[in-house]
Amino acid sequence: MTKRILIANRGEIASRIAKAINELEFVAIGFWTESESQARHLEFCNEWIKLVGVTHAETYLNIEQIVRLAKEHKVDAVHPGYGFLSENADFAEALNKAGIIFIGPHSDAIRVMGDKATSKMLAKKAGIPVVPGSSKAVESVEEAIRIAEEIKYPVLLKAVAGGGGRGMRACLNEQEIKDQFAALQRESMAAFGNGDLLVEKLIINPRHIEVQILADKNGNIYHFFERECSIQRRHQKIIEEAPSPFIGDDEELRQKICSTAVDLAKVVKYDSAGTVEFIMAEDKSFYFLEMNTRIQVEHPITEEITGIDLIVCMIQSAIGGDLHIPNQEFIKRSGHAIECRICAEDPLTMLPAPGKVYGFETSFPQGTRFDNCLYRGLEVTPDFDPMVGKLVTKGINRYVAVRKMRAALKGLFIEGLKTNISLHQVIMENENFKNGSYSTNFIIVENPQAKINTEIDFLKFYKELAGIEARNIGL
Amino acid sequence: MRYYLIENENEYIIDLTKTEILSSDLVEFEFSTLKKNELINKKTVFVRKLAGQYFASFDQQCWNKIPRQNMPRKMIYVDKVIDLYRGYKPSGLAASGEGDLNTQMPGKVVKILAKTGDQVSKGQTLLILEAMKMENEMRSNIDGVIKEIHVKEGQALEQGVLMIEIAPLKK
Repeated sequence: MTKRILIANRGEIASRIAKAINELEFVAIGFWTESESQARHLEFCNEWIKLVGVTHAETYLNIEQIVRLAKEHKVDAVHPGYGFLSENADFAEALNKAGIIFIGPHSDAIRVMGDKATSKMLAKKAGIPVVPGSSKAVESVEEAIRIAEEIKYPVLLKAVAGGGGRGMRACLNEQEIKDQFAALQRESMAAFGNGDLLVEKLIINPRHIEVQILADKNGNIYHFFERECSIQRRHQKIIEEAPSPFIGDDEELRQKICSTAVDLAKVVKYDSAGTVEFIMAEDKSFYFLEMNTRIQVEHPITEEITGIDLIVCMIQSAIGGDLHIPNQEFIKRSGHAIECRICAEDPLTMLPAPGKVYGFETSFPQGTRFDNCLYRGLEVTPDFDPMVGKLVTKGINRYVAVRKMRAALKGLFIEGLKTNISLHQVIMENENFKNGSYSTNFIIVENPQAKINTEIDFLKFYKELAGIEARNIGL
Repeated sequence: MRYYLIENENEYIIDLTKTEILSSDLVEFEFSTLKKNELINKKTVFVRKLAGQYFASFDQQCWNKIPRQNMPRKMIYVDKVIDLYRGYKPSGLAASGEGDLNTQMPGKVVKILAKTGDQVSKGQTLLILEAMKMENEMRSNIDGVIKEIHVKEGQALEQGVLMIEIAPLKK
């Protein structure tokens, strides 16, 4: 039976979801707002609904309005995308109460996994390794030292309320804990209004590795192998790849981390697409970090190496449809995929740089996918995430995928916006990146932005101006 | 035709010194760049239309696709935002007065609390800018009169954009 599916999101992911809905021959319904009436995703939607309001709180985060509109328009199911309300258990419950399907996991899974402390405790109980450390706030310097000796140095002193890289100190020995403890306590009190500290083992040169999970409503849980997302800036990923070059040919390790992820998903009776994130140490021991109970930005690289359509399967799973997956062994991977997040930001400072797109053109090598929300005239405002597209290439192996990515970056023309394309180009040429030997500290250690050539190339201007003049004279 | 490219303190003039239509799908241009009245660069460029797309070349051998675009007001070069003017040089762009209010970071104009001709005092809030998810009050640096307001409410701005010009009061 035809379903009416509402997309409660914007940008490239809204287009991606709309295409999946079209493929299933369902009705795709998209949102637009006053400030974004030209949204590109509407192109792929059969019906358009206006979200009233200016701020995010009034529009894409407004549970009351979205549920009301969904009811008014006789929507059967809502896909939340990523960000916004995608991991909001209240939203899922409000929809269910209105008789509408939330395309995602059941709300208990969202609630449990949404809380870092609870999810960590749950994982620990299920026998899944977590980063060793204190399970609750430490009372004193002495207690911190005692725990540090138990889990062995180096350790990390961490504010309970901290996050995003703030409120953390590395300690290599007892003396450093003594020196840092009181200072960090004061600092956390001032910054977060909470001076409680945790002691955790410090993982040196960590790798960020995550496993894609897909489950149906009948208790079948599958994994789609891993992704490595170690190239990050300000704790946000910018380049992801699958499979992980760090795991490499170690199939035993790959099996172990993937089945660990499935085990955790089983504990919460997971029933949708999700991702289990791990941190991997240099000795290849890995620890559970968190579980994301939504589709992730970097899902395309998994789709490229396994051939699955995660968005379609997520919809099928939610409405009780057939995923067409007989068993885990049926899922195979081949080749290597890389994703570069194309962001409207200054490539040197990596800070968002809003602007207006004057020109957009592509000339890609075979095996390129570009999920994006770009069009000529698009105004990138500070309101939204600066990511405007995801450039994905797939090759028969990692070397080929990187080569294709270099060509794809060269063939991506976005005029009028500062973008991080030049940063990606430098990273693709970096020896350590090419060898796959990098950690989450890559940007800090390698400082790739320093190698970007910023000298003005007048020949580029001549070409662009010549193009404009040629159009002016009617060529 | 003359183009003015202005980037911070740097001002470049690009002169289109020759235009020759060679055929119905091929045009030849010659550009030269001046900085401080000194010629720093000169080059001939060919543009060819092929299947609705535009391609540029310096030697008529190697052709590169160029994005179709209308005359942009800004051109971006890696990390530089270059203001572009075709045929005229805007006045008063080079000098930055002490009373000028520029954006310190990218943001969005939430509210403008003054209008052109208003007399304002040092420390007075003139504009509210939302940046990094916070509202920031932008205050006048001097006692003066609002000369010009270059922005509108709701407008998204880059870093370093001139928002309000204030002429100092004569003592």
